[in-house]
Amino acid sequence: MPYPTDPLILSGVWASVILTLMVYSYVLYKETPVFRFAEHTYISASLAISVVVAYQTLSSNAFLPISQGDMTYLIPIVLGLLLYTLPFREVRWVSRYPLAFIVGVGTGIAIRGSVHAQMVNQVLAAITLPKAPQPIDWFNFLFSLVAFLTSTSYFIFTREHTGVLKIPTQLGRYMIMLALGSYFGNTILFRMSMLSGRVEEILKVFGIIPWR
Amino acid sequence: MAEVDRRVLYWVMFIALAIPFINPLGLPVPITEMTKAVYDKVESLGPKNIALFSIAGGVSAWPEIAPSMVAVMRHLVKREVKIVVWGFFTDQDITVDMITSNVPELSTKYKYGEDWVYMGYLAGGETAVAALASDVHSVFKADKYGTPTEKLPLIQRVKSAKDVDLVLTVDTGSYITYYIRHWNVGKGTPVAEIGIAMQADQVVFYPANLVGLLIGVRGGAEYEKMIGRLGGGTITMDAINISHLLFIIVIALANIGYVMTRRKK
Repeated sequence: MPYPTDPLILSGVWASVILTLMVYSYVLYKETPVFRFAEHTYISASLAISVVVAYQTLSSNAFLPISQGDMTYLIPIVLGLLLYTLPFREVRWVSRYPLAFIVGVGTGIAIRGSVHAQMVNQVLAAITLPKAPQPIDWFNFLFSLVAFLTSTSYFIFTREHTGVLKIPTQLGRYMIMLALGSYFGNTILFRMSMLSGRVEEILKVFGIIPWR
Repeated sequence: MAEVDRRVLYWVMFIALAIPFINPLGLPVPITEMTKAVYDKVESLGPKNIALFSIAGGVSAWPEIAPSMVAVMRHLVKREVKIVVWGFFTDQDITVDMITSNVPELSTKYKYGEDWVYMGYLAGGETAVAALASDVHSVFKADKYGTPTEKLPLIQRVKSAKDVDLVLTVDTGSYITYYIRHWNVGKGTPVAEIGIAMQADQVVFYPANLVGLLIGVRGGAEYEKMIGRLGGGTITMDAINISHLLFIIVIALANIGYVMTRRKK
């Protein structure tokens, strides 16, 4: 792909690089007006996009059916509007109804599939023997099983972690630390991907590497 | 290490990331089982099948997920699978534009409305995913461009999760669990994930419910290798490998320094 020549696209790619450098100025010089400008630009642009998309969604998924005579869509619109009473102290209580509706429906729906997906299947996977196992598969299976049992035992709060429970719960704590460490490590690696994306963009825009 | 100015570390990191882009190293990227499983599933689909491409990741995550999205979309198009696209992020239109510009067959080979369709953005999170699993037509009345669903032959075929042969959820958060709970457990639809690295630890815990998983840039690079069309993922992997190596060295040095400081005390 050749280096863009369209002035509109060019202004966009240069704006992205300049804003990236403004944001990274935080790392070198802490919070400065330059960083704050980039931060506010990002937030306002995101908000602007969200407002436009929200309006488009309402148009196609609510206003269109209403215009075709399906008045049931007025109910969610009214519930949504009631949320805007939140800033006004005297009528704030009204906003609790749509909030209660959102929380109630959300919780009910989430619970529906959770038991099978997040409990039954997890237990089954933990106790299912590996198919056509290599030695490493046996190690993984046993390690996962021990980690599952001991980390679960760590959350037994009805008995003191002494006696029979002492070793499993201690081991469970280490297993949880291992899992959290791995999770944190992956989070850092994800951030590195983000950084590599910006580095690549900067190199491309300055013509150091080919545009692709 | 504790006395090293952090700015020095950031500059070292920037240079270490830049070098592989200027001089690619071509480090090997072995194929993992989870990536192969996604590839095999897509390979088993054909023109009669329908895949759902659900976008639940923003433009900010492109460096991590864009290579996988493009590679998988290329594979779906090569297999002539019908594709339904929708999403839950307000900036997803830019992502769809990026995919269509990288997969021009969506404009040339595919006919919009019959072979692929973009239904647009939907608010509601898990509630929306659950509602779509039961009745797509009650949720979407029109596509992104305002065309009523009655005029879109492809979406007429997709009434619920049961009409979809594979869900590919592009995800930087929890949408994979929503699809597992409501599309896989609820309706039996196979679900695969295109995710970011930090999700790997969460998602691998669903072996019974997940077809496979493309983890971050690495997953994208592996998939590019499997479809025989190298792209952004392969280019970025060198930089990622070098940055990881740098991190391991810095962490090791910092720990050695910490132990030695404690001994002195």
